[in-house]
Amino acid sequence: MNGSLLGIFCLLLTLAGYYISKRLYLRQQRIWFAPIILAPTIILSTVVIFQIPLVDYFQFTHWLPALLAPATIAFAVPIYRERALIKRYPLTISVGVLSGLCLGVGSSWLIIHFTNMPSELSHSLIVRSVSTPFAIEATGAFGGIPELTAMLVLVTGIMGMLICEPLFKAANIKSSLARGISLGASAHGAGAAKANQMGREEGVIASLTMIFTGIAMVITAPLFALLFN
Amino acid sequence: MLSLFTGHSAFLKCKTTLIIQVSGLCFFAWLCQWVAYSVHSIIPGSVIGLGVLLILLSCRWIPEKVVKQGSSWLIGDLLLFFIPPVVAITKYESLLESYGAELIVCMLLASASVLVGTAFIVDKLFKFERKQRLNSISLQRSLLK
Repeated sequence: MNGSLLGIFCLLLTLAGYYISKRLYLRQQRIWFAPIILAPTIILSTVVIFQIPLVDYFQFTHWLPALLAPATIAFAVPIYRERALIKRYPLTISVGVLSGLCLGVGSSWLIIHFTNMPSELSHSLIVRSVSTPFAIEATGAFGGIPELTAMLVLVTGIMGMLICEPLFKAANIKSSLARGISLGASAHGAGAAKANQMGREEGVIASLTMIFTGIAMVITAPLFALLFN
Repeated sequence: MLSLFTGHSAFLKCKTTLIIQVSGLCFFAWLCQWVAYSVHSIIPGSVIGLGVLLILLSCRWIPEKVVKQGSSWLIGDLLLFFIPPVVAITKYESLLESYGAELIVCMLLASASVLVGTAFIVDKLFKFERKQRLNSISLQRSLLK
């Protein structure tokens, strides 16, 4: 009884933490209030401070990640809606997606060779630049762990949001296409949200790139894994 | 009072549509995963489902409004669905404590290279494509003269 009460509390905590930070960000457009930063911080710190056992935390909240699969399917709708944009820049989008994918996998793979991290951690790092539902599906091919991957994907998104502006300025990247595609390819959903603040076209193109990079990652992960092992 | 009531029922109707659409997408996702599992597909069921839904929409076999609300909720609140896996990292606390700094440096380097590399390639390609288009337009004009 006590355990299931705690389980319900955890579900409510997760929902409340998420929706409160979302509401707060609508009012205060400051980066530290962004749901991607605030919500996990609130929920994670509550779980750590009150030392809630993970079994109790997952009793009801394990239904939430189950919605990642229908969310993946739902990505068909934005692709369909923005088909005109895809037809206008087919070459640029596909080259952008492919280079984002190869750079994402390649750079992680190269860098982890210079470190001595244990393999479950370093292999979870490889797929971190694509959106979570795709990353969780793809990480198994490289021997990564879904939970670690989810966290690394989240941190990657936050990083992309923070470093994109100075980097664009330094590299003199001005076209909306280049900004949108690189944000979508490197920082998935968080990057798309950031791109949306820069302009509508940037936002749409970033969302599309995020979806295509995710699909490409899931399909090519077994090939990349063969190549690396 | 009446307006309050109708407002309320409109709200309820909207929520009902949302719940029905999300349940439909969930059932479809379950079906696709079952199919992918039964045929031992390398491509996960969710991605197969995405492809199938895209085909259905493009061929206009199902109208967009049937999945519109449900899909925008699922995509808009994607973050909520992966908070539980993120909380599960408390299991790997010691791992993250000892390699945290190294991990952050690696990710920063990798993220920066993806961001700048992709932007650079796309920027060059975009300029090239535009130049080609301008050239072909001016060629057409010169031919017309």
